[in-house]
Amino acid sequence: MRISWPHMGSLEFVLSSVFEELGLEYVLPPPSSQRTLELGARYGPEFACFPLKTTLGNFIEAIEAGADTLIMVAGRGPCRFGFYAETQRRILEEAGYEFRMVPLEFEPARIPTTVRRLRELKQGRSWSSLFRAIKFALSKAYLIDRLEQQALHQRCLDRERGATTKALEKCYRMVWKADSYASLRRVEEEAFALLLSLPRAERETVKVGIVGEFYLVLEPFFNLGVEEQLGNLGAYVERNIYLTDWLRPSGRNPVAGHHDRESEEAARPYLTHFVGGEGLHSVGGTVLYRRHGFDGVVHIMPFTCMPETIAKSILPQVSRDLGIPVLSLVIDEMTGKAGVATRLEAFVDLARFRRRAGERGLDLSLQPAF
Amino acid sequence: MRVGIPGGLLYYRYGKLWTSFLQALGAEVVESGETTRSILSSGVSKAENESCLPVKVFYGHVLALRDKVDAIFVPRLVSVRKGTHTCPKMLGLPDLARVAVEDRTPIIAPTINFQEGMWANYRAVYSLGRLFTHNPWRIIRAGIRAWREHRLYLERLTLGLDHRSALRGEAENLLCEGRELRIAVIGHHYNVYDTFTTMSLLDRLSSMGVDVVTADMVPEDLRKKELKRLPKDIYWSYEQEIAGAILACTRHRLVDGIIFMISFPCGPDSIVRVLCEQENKRMGGVPLLALVIDEHTGEGGFLTRIEAFVDMLWRKKGEAAREREAVAV
Repeated sequence: MRISWPHMGSLEFVLSSVFEELGLEYVLPPPSSQRTLELGARYGPEFACFPLKTTLGNFIEAIEAGADTLIMVAGRGPCRFGFYAETQRRILEEAGYEFRMVPLEFEPARIPTTVRRLRELKQGRSWSSLFRAIKFALSKAYLIDRLEQQALHQRCLDRERGATTKALEKCYRMVWKADSYASLRRVEEEAFALLLSLPRAERETVKVGIVGEFYLVLEPFFNLGVEEQLGNLGAYVERNIYLTDWLRPSGRNPVAGHHDRESEEAARPYLTHFVGGEGLHSVGGTVLYRRHGFDGVVHIMPFTCMPETIAKSILPQVSRDLGIPVLSLVIDEMTGKAGVATRLEAFVDLARFRRRAGERGLDLSLQPAF
Repeated sequence: MRVGIPGGLLYYRYGKLWTSFLQALGAEVVESGETTRSILSSGVSKAENESCLPVKVFYGHVLALRDKVDAIFVPRLVSVRKGTHTCPKMLGLPDLARVAVEDRTPIIAPTINFQEGMWANYRAVYSLGRLFTHNPWRIIRAGIRAWREHRLYLERLTLGLDHRSALRGEAENLLCEGRELRIAVIGHHYNVYDTFTTMSLLDRLSSMGVDVVTADMVPEDLRKKELKRLPKDIYWSYEQEIAGAILACTRHRLVDGIIFMISFPCGPDSIVRVLCEQENKRMGGVPLLALVIDEHTGEGGFLTRIEAFVDMLWRKKGEAAREREAVAV
């Protein structure tokens, strides 16, 4: 059994750590590329959401690389994500690929099935070793998230463009190699020292928050490196979703420092009900960013994503009421890098202008969202 | 108090229930009526690009009512059956409506959620009634009356009346009259019964001499049986009906062809379509046309596809008849 899974941010480091710890065979899908996108768009349903297509592309490339068991998380809506595993299984089988899809569902009623599937996946390894491996992988994930956050905060001060990104990649490799809690602690110190030792420039920065659909926010290849672009434009960036929020729903935002409940409360004047996915938190996150003195919010969503479409309909009103510029980026397989770059540049300029005007006490007329 | 009911989305299912309940409570109900060109274009100009066509139409209806009424009635239907959800857009609908009217008109939005049991729903309905009257018996009577009318309306749909005659309580205008060729038109109520956005597809089919079967007319136990066969159950309330109806029509050869009406870009339908098309193919079922409509759909292209599909079905039917004759000879 050669297990594989789709890319999502730094998920590959986490899961491969679990399988390595258990001594099981796994295949990393090739890094996402234009080909992944083309494969996904070719086989995927016409107006299914963008992540379905990209993960489908990942699956095809993983099967080509020799995987025969695919892991996918499933659930029970209202968002389409819960139905991905089933749909992708049907599409791939129709296309003639040979594999086994293992959907994992983590809700009370379906736990017995999930336990059975996990038992098959662990291939005779003991449950306690599985839990130990997962726990260790989670500590790695947590460390990666904190490193990413540090990178988001300091990228705008890079004296040499791209230095932080390069250092972050080095950190990823260091975390990946760590094989015990002791070495992980060492890696933590070294990695933070490395990030903090980068030469910094004195520069005026703006604070930009990122909200949106979790997959697209976490996947730098498919969101066209929005975070890096913003950082290079001189923005101190924060995002309201990290990988650990998704891996440990109970510990939502252990890194970013605000909680589920807080974000729901903040969204209340505009959106009062859970709408699936991250829709509610996109609205709530925008309000919270405003409260924490951010100068702008970038909202990233895949084309036709249902919860985020609701958020996108409501965000202009939030933006008008609170006077914070919001840029909604709708991304699909047709989105070009140059277009996104132009809009981000204009957006950071706007945020910077508004910040300066605010500092001088100038009256800011309400800005329409765009 | 003048209460507006937008004639879009779930109006096509619960319109009768809502109007009769509010009327029995003594509210003056103002309906935005059927979709028109101006409603659609005002909705399209106001809604986000990424919204689906019915939501854009719904925006248009809300805008048409905005200045005419004291409040607009947009209930939030979270779940209409235990273990299922409606689509996220319906979960956020009252909030979308609030953005559409720019807080000029209050929105009445009771939350109906069958996941939380009957008591929560009863409380929601009761607190809705309290807006109009303080007499609890009057609310309960209004509720019972509305529910009865709603059942009657659904029954009429099941018998094969079209949506408009069923709303008016007429008994003529059957969609299915025992003609030779029979086509199932299956999709969300607001996709199938909206005469403007579907360019009166049902009437056109019947003028082509074709019987129409809708998802309502497929017996419920057949639909449920089909859903039980699926490896993963569908968790959207209305998609269950749609998928169940399509699969039942396919398995039992209830019709000669199926038109699956989808509005662009409907989230659940895009996923259910994969499932239906594949199961249909696997069962060697009836021809299936997935018809995607949006606000740019032109009448010419639309009609051509329908006509081609109907022609194809006629030819297929003729071939089958000839084969039977040949065997008999």
